Amino acid sequence: MLVMRRRAGESFMIGEHIEIEVLEMTGSRVKLGIVAPEEFVIVRKEARITRDENLTAARKVDPTAITALLHRLAR
Amino acid sequence: MPRLLTTYFGEIDFADASVFQFPHGLPGFETEHAFVFLRQPHTEPLMFMQSLTDPKLCFILLPILVADPRYRVNFDKEDIAELKLEPGRQPRIGEDILCAAILRAGDAEHPDPTVNLMAPVVVNLKEKIGMQVIQPESGYSHREPLFPRLETLPCS
Repeated sequence: MLVMRRRAGESFMIGEHIEIEVLEMTGSRVKLGIVAPEEFVIVRKEARITRDENLTAARKVDPTAITALLHRLAR
Repeated sequence: MPRLLTTYFGEIDFADASVFQFPHGLPGFETEHAFVFLRQPHTEPLMFMQSLTDPKLCFILLPILVADPRYRVNFDKEDIAELKLEPGRQPRIGEDILCAAILRAGDAEHPDPTVNLMAPVVVNLKEKIGMQVIQPESGYSHREPLFPRLETLPCS
């Protein structure tokens, strides 16, 4: 992993077209500004993780698996 | 009473009052804006979050306090505003909100069931609107093992 120190107001580039600027720091939070071409989808990592988890959880569960689950929950 | 074809219970009758609106859907399901929560005596304590428009889409949920009796909500003000909850205080589970974790039943890859405690489904019981509240700073995982958690709780 590349590690870089930046102050508020400073930025860095990823390739030719993506710029990320550190806008503000408050406590443990950092506010970033991102400039990127439209074709790049930018999402928070936890939103991506939640999406992937939702897609898996939405698959139909076999009734026998539900029954097994209920037995374990009832213990 | 309107009828609804469900993933797990065939065709059911439901009351319009039991429909919850999800203005932004859920991550991965952004176009699903309406769900009903189904509970059946023989499937307690599970809840079935059935899409109103897609009979094949139904999430299985566990009330958050069943998944973790020590769970405490700590929503930020944007989420509280989004859910049209009273500003300035945390909502109460069971009184102001329904809060439940999406369950991932075991599969070949991960045989043990897990619950997503990082991103619970929350609905405002009065306004009937809901969203999945993503809380990366909660300390909970999106894949908390269900049974170790329940089975290691001390007896009281």
